[in-house]
Amino acid sequence: MMRLTVVLAILAFPAVADEPAIPRFTEVTESAGIDSVFSGEWEYMVGGGAAVFDCDADGFPDMLLAGGTEPARFYRNRSTPSGDLVFESQQSGLEIDAVTGAYPIDIDSDGVMDIVLLRVGENIAMRGLGNCHFESANAAWGFDGGDGWSTAFAATWEAGSDWPTLAIGNYVDRNEPMMPWGSCTDNWLHRPGDADDGFAAPIPLTPSYCALSMLFTDWNRSGTPALRVSNDREYYKGGQEQLWRIEPGAAPELFGPEDGWQRLRIWGMGIANADLDFDGYPEFFLTSMADNKLQVLSAVPEDGDVLPVYSDVAYARGVTAHRPYTGGEIKPSTAWHAQFEDINNDGLADLFVAKGNVWEMPDFALLDPNNLLLQRADGTFYEAGEEAGVASMLTARGGAVADFNLDGLLDLVVVNRHDRAQLWQNTSTDLGNWIQVRAQQPGSNRDGVGAWIELKIDDRVIQRELTSGGGHVSGINSWWHFGLGDAETAQIRVLWPDGEHSDWSEVAANGFYVLERDELAIAWVPGSS
Amino acid sequence: MGERSRTRPGVRSWIVGITLVLTLSAPASAQLGHDDARDVVIGWNRLILELVRHTPTYSPPVASRAFAYLGVTAFEAAASGDPSVRSLAGQLNELGPLPQREAGADYDEAILMHAALGLGANEFFGNTGPTGQRAMDFMVSRTASDLASGVPPDIVARSEAFGAAVGAHIAEWARTDGGAVVENLGFPYDFETVEDPALWVPTNRIAVQQAPLLPGWGRNRTFAMPDGATCSIPPPPEYSEAPGSAFYTEAMEVRDAVVNRTSEQEAIARFWSDDPMLSPTPPGHWISIALDALEGDEADLYETVDVLARLGTVLADSFIGCWDAKYRYNLVRPVTYINRLVDPGWQPILITPPFPEYPSGHSTQSGAAAGVLEHHFGDNYTFADATHEADGLAVRHYESFWEAAEEAAISRLYGGIHFRSAIEEGLAQGLCIAKYTNALVTWVAP
Repeated sequence: MMRLTVVLAILAFPAVADEPAIPRFTEVTESAGIDSVFSGEWEYMVGGGAAVFDCDADGFPDMLLAGGTEPARFYRNRSTPSGDLVFESQQSGLEIDAVTGAYPIDIDSDGVMDIVLLRVGENIAMRGLGNCHFESANAAWGFDGGDGWSTAFAATWEAGSDWPTLAIGNYVDRNEPMMPWGSCTDNWLHRPGDADDGFAAPIPLTPSYCALSMLFTDWNRSGTPALRVSNDREYYKGGQEQLWRIEPGAAPELFGPEDGWQRLRIWGMGIANADLDFDGYPEFFLTSMADNKLQVLSAVPEDGDVLPVYSDVAYARGVTAHRPYTGGEIKPSTAWHAQFEDINNDGLADLFVAKGNVWEMPDFALLDPNNLLLQRADGTFYEAGEEAGVASMLTARGGAVADFNLDGLLDLVVVNRHDRAQLWQNTSTDLGNWIQVRAQQPGSNRDGVGAWIELKIDDRVIQRELTSGGGHVSGINSWWHFGLGDAETAQIRVLWPDGEHSDWSEVAANGFYVLERDELAIAWVPGSS
Repeated sequence: MGERSRTRPGVRSWIVGITLVLTLSAPASAQLGHDDARDVVIGWNRLILELVRHTPTYSPPVASRAFAYLGVTAFEAAASGDPSVRSLAGQLNELGPLPQREAGADYDEAILMHAALGLGANEFFGNTGPTGQRAMDFMVSRTASDLASGVPPDIVARSEAFGAAVGAHIAEWARTDGGAVVENLGFPYDFETVEDPALWVPTNRIAVQQAPLLPGWGRNRTFAMPDGATCSIPPPPEYSEAPGSAFYTEAMEVRDAVVNRTSEQEAIARFWSDDPMLSPTPPGHWISIALDALEGDEADLYETVDVLARLGTVLADSFIGCWDAKYRYNLVRPVTYINRLVDPGWQPILITPPFPEYPSGHSTQSGAAAGVLEHHFGDNYTFADATHEADGLAVRHYESFWEAAEEAAISRLYGGIHFRSAIEEGLAQGLCIAKYTNALVTWVAP
């Protein structure tokens, strides 16, 4: 006789702590002038990213939205401080087709933002010319754009180099019409050339397993970032999630079981990172289908010699985000871009997840709302997507959480497949205090990629790694945002990539600051540049 | 006897191969096409192995069901053209008489077979992802055009229509078996565990897997055996936490097997792991073995469809029988017991499947598969198993199908996910189920 009892019961997550403050968003896509669509068939079933960056030195983040088979669209930010979001579509040189995603990075460290375009076909490193104009620099920089189907990006400055190292993730062999399974093409590592003013021939990161997200991260606080790669198990054979040891001057080397690396095989689509538990080590959120992972280091020995052994705490923390929470569908979800930001300014990182069916897959939700998961004081998360107004049922892919009108409230842009991108303005009136900062150093790596910003409020230190990469084909190079809760002041400093600490600066809440090497924090006021 | 099978080319190589072969050897006469029809059967099954791997609802029981119906589809498509082959209608549960060919009319066997399997594939894999859809479309359109080359249009049309009718007949039959609808990837939306240490509880923290997989699968209509309870098995050892008890002793055996495993035992565990979404699943593994054997032996059309129909149906029956027993006993998994009572840090080396422990599904279906394959090929058929070569797992060699089945079964103990009783009783259950399939009559006595 069957001894298993099935009853009507709702799977419950752990008991809730005090509910967090709910931010309020208003969709302003049309009024703000956004009219971009990510289109395309099989070769565009993944991708559709957003790049957010300031290309006219006014402090306001501009943006580029991938268009798939249509040219990418550049939007110049015409918003005023704390005003309505306003964008103007402009010709920038970035209006190129076959773009799946884009990442901003000042490659040549000239203080003008450059953009790497990921494409179905040749990737292009677009050099910023100033005033939001760009041109291809593939030839000038020796950047081999390949001819693949590129779907992931990450960048770092290796120790001793004045030129960045770029990792490009590639998907299946797009020239395989019948059986692409098992045809993952090599990811490439573009290291600096001998003269440090361009790239050497790319190094294949073999084996490659159809990466959909990559991130250079100093996961173990060794001072040398490693390359985290999230791979789509739909297409690889014999594959898994990967962590590459990228030591200056040495060949890339995979972490393996002998290092403690544990095999994990998911439909990896996006990576988000944040130090959620204030121990100085980043946690990683990995998006997938029907399940998402929140990885926490299993052990942090006193000597700091950590192993890459992670526990999945997504279920315990309430961030599995495995099926829709509104809209009537209960089939499993499909998650893409993910980003940790303190969206309600309470001093705790929250999580945005873009959701959307791959392509009318009937076993997965077709109406799959984006998630806005707000962290509670006990480390669990509260789903606020619907209350906050961002529970879109369009088919989301990439996106970005950023403050577009410099009011200290984080806004949101999402790229949707076969539909218009959406822009939400954060119109909350009752959130906590905040500061936003930008790290800046002379010479190469001006934006301090690989640095850590430390923000001290009372006895708590929020540590934030300045990364370039991750998410789902979407990158941000803009102000780094910190929520302060009720705090009126905070102490802040930078741990630069070379290991040097700046001095602590005291900063007042609700302002912008530039953190330069060997300088105290310099206040910056929107409209002053 | 030397090994019959060889390391086979990759699927993509096969696709290129079959289209070339079919193009070059398009039948000049509408009465021909048997060899091409066999290639069509092999080709569709190779593609279906990939579709099983890449269709998210395809857990092992669901996969076995598809192999069964598609095996019967191919068999009936071929049987309809030869009076010496006996239809399975009336032998398989609730399978009614198949459509009949038009008397005196010419048919092309390959075109007919392709139409039947194309319809069947769409029926069972209509929910696959965009790449699977693309592959099926490519297979249907390109192979159809290659097969039709040089064949009179009326024969093409007649053959396609009849093949589709056979496929539709089987598809309609399939819709009433209780397994046609799989929601939430097979996991009930609502479930509550019972406070009893002997009973299954979730073994991971994946949200959808907090309920067990397909708890009603054991009630599905079977194919050759009367019902899911036909080959019932004795209860597992009585649950006990007392050291020295039979249950405790079996648990310690699992723990020790993992802790003290040899590299060969770990290789065995991983070779037969056959995880859903990462492999063609356990039933697909046996289909892969059979395809290699049939190709290696250059089996003709009738032998090919006979073996695949029997293997598919016995795999499906074995999962129904196994699931009937699993939810009858609802036994706790080793990892739960060992972590709670012996070693909180112990972990199996394989992923513990999200459903009750007893009996072992891989053991039941491997015993059943070996029972059918030995009935056909003999009990000393040596072969090489290259199923997981593309995944980087080395080819393994066996002296018989039963040897492979026993290795598949014990792999679950090496992997830390099953007790010995589940393995031994699973194999026995599989052999019992195979007897019903082996009793099917596919040839009319002269």
